[in-house]
Amino acid sequence: MSSLDKNKTLDKKYWRSLEQLDNKPEYQRFAKNEFPEEDTEKNHPVSRRTFLSTVGTTLAFAGLTGCRRPVEKIVPYVDAPENLVLGEPEYYATSMPLGTSSYGLVVTCHEGRPVKIEGNELHPSSLGKSNNFMQASILNLYDPDRSRKITNKGKESSWQEFEDAWKEIKTEFDENGGEGLVILGNESSSPSFERLKKEFFKTYPKAEWVTFNSVSDENIYGGIRIASGKNLQPVYHYDKAKIIVALDADPFMMDSENVTSALGFAKGRSISGPHDKMNRLYVAEPGYTITGAMADHRLRIKSSQVIDFTVLLARALESRGTTIPALSAFGAVKQNNIDQRWIDAVADDLISHKGKSLVVAGRRQPKAVHALILSINYALENIDNTIEFHIAEHIQVSDRAALKNLVANIDNGKVNTLVVLSDYPVATIPFDLQIIESLKKIQRTYKLSSSADSVSALLDGDIHSAHNLASWGDCRSMDGTPAIIQPMIEPLFFGKSVLEVLNLIIYGESQKGYNIVRETWKDIFHGESFELSWRKALHDGVYPEGKTRVEPVIIQEIAIEAHLKEFPIENNSTGMEIVFTADHSVYDGRFSNNGWMQELPDPLTKLIWDNAALISTASAKMHGLENGDFISIESGDNSIEIPVWILPGQADDVIILPLGYGNDSNGRIEKGAGFSVNGIRTIDNMDFLSGTKVTRTGKKHVFATTQNHGSMEGRPLIREADLDEYRNDPEFAQHEVHVPDLASLWKEHKYDEGNQWGMSIDLNACIGCGACTISCQSENNIPVVGKEQADYGREMHWMRIDRYFNGDLNNPEIGFQPMACQHCEMAPCEQVCPVAATTHDAEGLNVMTYNRCIGTRYCSNNCAYKVRRFNFFNYTNRLPELVKMAQNPDVTVRSRGVMEKCTFCLQRINRTKRRAKLEGRTVMDGEMRTACQQACPTEAIKFGNILDKKSSIVKAKNSERTYEVLAELNLRPRTSYQARLRNPNPALKS
Amino acid sequence: MAQIFSKSANLIPLIVIMMVILLVLGGVFFFWYYGSPKFTDAGYRPIQPVDYSHKLHAGDLGIDCRYCHYQVEKSRHSNIPPTKVCMNCHILVGTDKKTLDPVRESFANKMPIEWVRIHNLPEYAYFDHSLHLRAGVACIECHGNVAMMEKVQQVEPLSMGWCLDCHRDPGPHLRPPSQVTNMYWTPPKDHGEWVQKFMQENNINPPENCSACHR
Repeated sequence: MSSLDKNKTLDKKYWRSLEQLDNKPEYQRFAKNEFPEEDTEKNHPVSRRTFLSTVGTTLAFAGLTGCRRPVEKIVPYVDAPENLVLGEPEYYATSMPLGTSSYGLVVTCHEGRPVKIEGNELHPSSLGKSNNFMQASILNLYDPDRSRKITNKGKESSWQEFEDAWKEIKTEFDENGGEGLVILGNESSSPSFERLKKEFFKTYPKAEWVTFNSVSDENIYGGIRIASGKNLQPVYHYDKAKIIVALDADPFMMDSENVTSALGFAKGRSISGPHDKMNRLYVAEPGYTITGAMADHRLRIKSSQVIDFTVLLARALESRGTTIPALSAFGAVKQNNIDQRWIDAVADDLISHKGKSLVVAGRRQPKAVHALILSINYALENIDNTIEFHIAEHIQVSDRAALKNLVANIDNGKVNTLVVLSDYPVATIPFDLQIIESLKKIQRTYKLSSSADSVSALLDGDIHSAHNLASWGDCRSMDGTPAIIQPMIEPLFFGKSVLEVLNLIIYGESQKGYNIVRETWKDIFHGESFELSWRKALHDGVYPEGKTRVEPVIIQEIAIEAHLKEFPIENNSTGMEIVFTADHSVYDGRFSNNGWMQELPDPLTKLIWDNAALISTASAKMHGLENGDFISIESGDNSIEIPVWILPGQADDVIILPLGYGNDSNGRIEKGAGFSVNGIRTIDNMDFLSGTKVTRTGKKHVFATTQNHGSMEGRPLIREADLDEYRNDPEFAQHEVHVPDLASLWKEHKYDEGNQWGMSIDLNACIGCGACTISCQSENNIPVVGKEQADYGREMHWMRIDRYFNGDLNNPEIGFQPMACQHCEMAPCEQVCPVAATTHDAEGLNVMTYNRCIGTRYCSNNCAYKVRRFNFFNYTNRLPELVKMAQNPDVTVRSRGVMEKCTFCLQRINRTKRRAKLEGRTVMDGEMRTACQQACPTEAIKFGNILDKKSSIVKAKNSERTYEVLAELNLRPRTSYQARLRNPNPALKS
Repeated sequence: MAQIFSKSANLIPLIVIMMVILLVLGGVFFFWYYGSPKFTDAGYRPIQPVDYSHKLHAGDLGIDCRYCHYQVEKSRHSNIPPTKVCMNCHILVGTDKKTLDPVRESFANKMPIEWVRIHNLPEYAYFDHSLHLRAGVACIECHGNVAMMEKVQQVEPLSMGWCLDCHRDPGPHLRPPSQVTNMYWTPPKDHGEWVQKFMQENNINPPENCSACHR
């Protein structure tokens, strides 16, 4: 059997020897042995005389062979595609679904290889911006540990075999209407998925379909359905909201539609002058989220107390003259530590901003909370102003009750065939359902997923999935706008998409994803010409005319009352409350084998490569815990062991457990990173869990963080003020440090012609999400160094986000400051390089010439901002071939011993200048965007030519809030910051 | 006591020091010359998979450089033509020539021809053809008279110093962009004036800082 067979792995397509093709036992033995010389030694011993003479001659010739230049090949096309220009990247639009929403992407492809992701400006959920999940997903495409083959009970199989087997099984289901057939799928907003599901039930009316996701908006949709009587999706307009109240929610980073929510919030927050107004954000939460970090007022409450808070708030609103429908159905609630003054202040603000406020709750809150919140928003006249609802009949939402039912059915023998269309089913399905035991009871099981796990050997078919960037599909964003997902590259290992598998199951024959999607879109396009509409939708990445309609909302009081009767609120939280959250880096676990994400510091804790049980300062003290102490969390008969990390500002008696770590797969990145928290997460308590007992076990774990301390060491690096202080002294930021008129020892350069690049970062908009960090890492081939090296401070991020605490140890304020090379005009690093490897160019950039660097590291020593990163080891030479495909060919890949740092995306600057020059014009404002600037969801980063008086960068730099970090050192950095403003409520000033 | 070493032994340390100095200087010169691109790269004339003669095609037949290297004005690479470009003519011409077998095979099997790269800059240096053509740098300036080469060889060292020589004084190396592929163009008498005007009108200022090529 030739190993050039199409269905085999990509590796085997390239054979190094005939022996490999034959794959005889001798070759296998040879291939396994890393140092085969040992074998030859035994068979052909070398005498001492021969050895010496060989060595001598080799030495003599060694010098000559060293002069041989390596042969490089140029391999052109046989038949080049028309209009393809080598060296110029191509940009294609696609989308990335995440749960029930989706984000539009524009992917940069170099010679057919996707390399960088940006947000699609035309897509309503991206508007050109991105979040760190979108940016990191490119590395998931090139994951070397992704499944590469189809297996049958652990033995290698093929799509053809699966197709043949299914054709036989299908005859059985055609007769009995699909009885015993169950599909377990993920949440989806895909129109094609919806169409195929309808076809599925037409073909198999007696079959079952269960949707389940470990992290989902199920409660939100459920609450809205109860309160409105319809299946609706919320679309928020944060830019229109003047007062925002977020309850155990993280709308700017972790919740659905976070990109546009963050952008809207930043727009509402932006202030053009002392007479301008800005929005006000109240956050009540158990953990510390970045939404909480942006809050003007923050209250620490347990997750289980949010219902109490909401009812108290509703009552306060009613006492101010608004009727909250269905409020009477909610009985007595406990005040506990909920500050009534806080509630009153929030209520006053909400009442005075009717129609311009927004109250939101997170996905962990029970349906009753969401129903009440909808009622509150309705009473505050926010519906169709700051929040609108679109019809959501078409989406698949996770359903925990249905999953429970499915497992019960399996145990009762009602299921004989199960098709699992989701990743990590074993890791994400709550352990108390004992899914592995159940799977053994089913006659036939099939799975389509990205990686093999512990159940793969049991399955009749474990099919490897094609990554989203390599498959055809479609999705809708929360306002219903449909978008086509088109592949950037063929599935790397001939994986299959979920639509292709579904098609086979329904129709018994294989169909290309392309045709399946086109079939769906025949009904989506309104216009006459399908082909024209299709081409335009493919080009734009979105079909705006397909937006779903806005639905009016009328609160169904009776339904809410009935729900409360069936599911009464139990708020007797005792013991330690455990809150399960999606992680800021790995989300629900889908990014756990992604090196960038593991090394991305958590925005609040700055932990890398691990998750931790997050605990408040006071609770830690009470239990005698320090950072790294292992604890055992017991809930009933179940327990888990996990080390703690103290997060100042968290609510007391609450432990936050981030999901997605400690998966039982063999991914080389995720192995050994973090701790699984699934051991106490039951199907009935997937959000939060009270009544647990916490005991210190005595073991200790060493965490790696990129920022151990939250202190600015006495220097005003982040400057912030309250809105009143700003109005009194608009230039307060400049006044915090006295910068005298400094003279230089030498004649300074005049940077007065051509392009002079500068950057401005608005701390009032920066939410600390880290999208810039990942975007920079993706664009500039920044290596991943691993936990041990990062612990020494050797992480390579060119753009990092510093997080500083400020204030009371129990509830401090947090400030974020993105820090990258400031490109100082009087750069201290340039002055000390012994070999002039770092120089200043005519456009104001501090340039790094890697091949000249000899690794003295004096430049990093001299850098006041400590933004220079050194390659202590060769982090890239042992990257798998597959991972190297993610590298950007426009940027040099650095080897061991060279210094690197932010270059203001020099490759993009050169490309932009080149395009302008070839077109005979100058670079326009906004044409040149650095990777960090383009990714930032809140437009906090501005970049451009500071000599262009009309550019947005000059406007930002001329703002009164502008200041330069460490300006007193006479470094003349080209990067400036705009001070942060807080908008506290005067009634809550203590 | 009798002297162990004769008086002439006093010369030995002197000779040794002189030898060491000569050795060091020799070594430095050795590597300075034999290590420089002028020696290691200029003159490189590898054997190609297809015995293509530029002298025949570009010289005698007069085919313009840009017929095959058609992306040179738009791309930073001057592309090696895909097999189809060769087949544009050779589907009819030279159907019996054995030297074209690899080309025909490549076209039939859809397997590209693997040419050996001659002009190669290190990976950390990024060169852009299109900008140089726009500035009026002729093909012959860097690649020599390729139209006279049976087998292409690298003529210029393409070292950074050599590039900077032109960047610091581009005038003598520029010509009207329409003449860049003309192997027989000679500068007219008023070339100096023309260059001044041309550079000013077209905003040609070859960068001398590192960021131009090193990213």
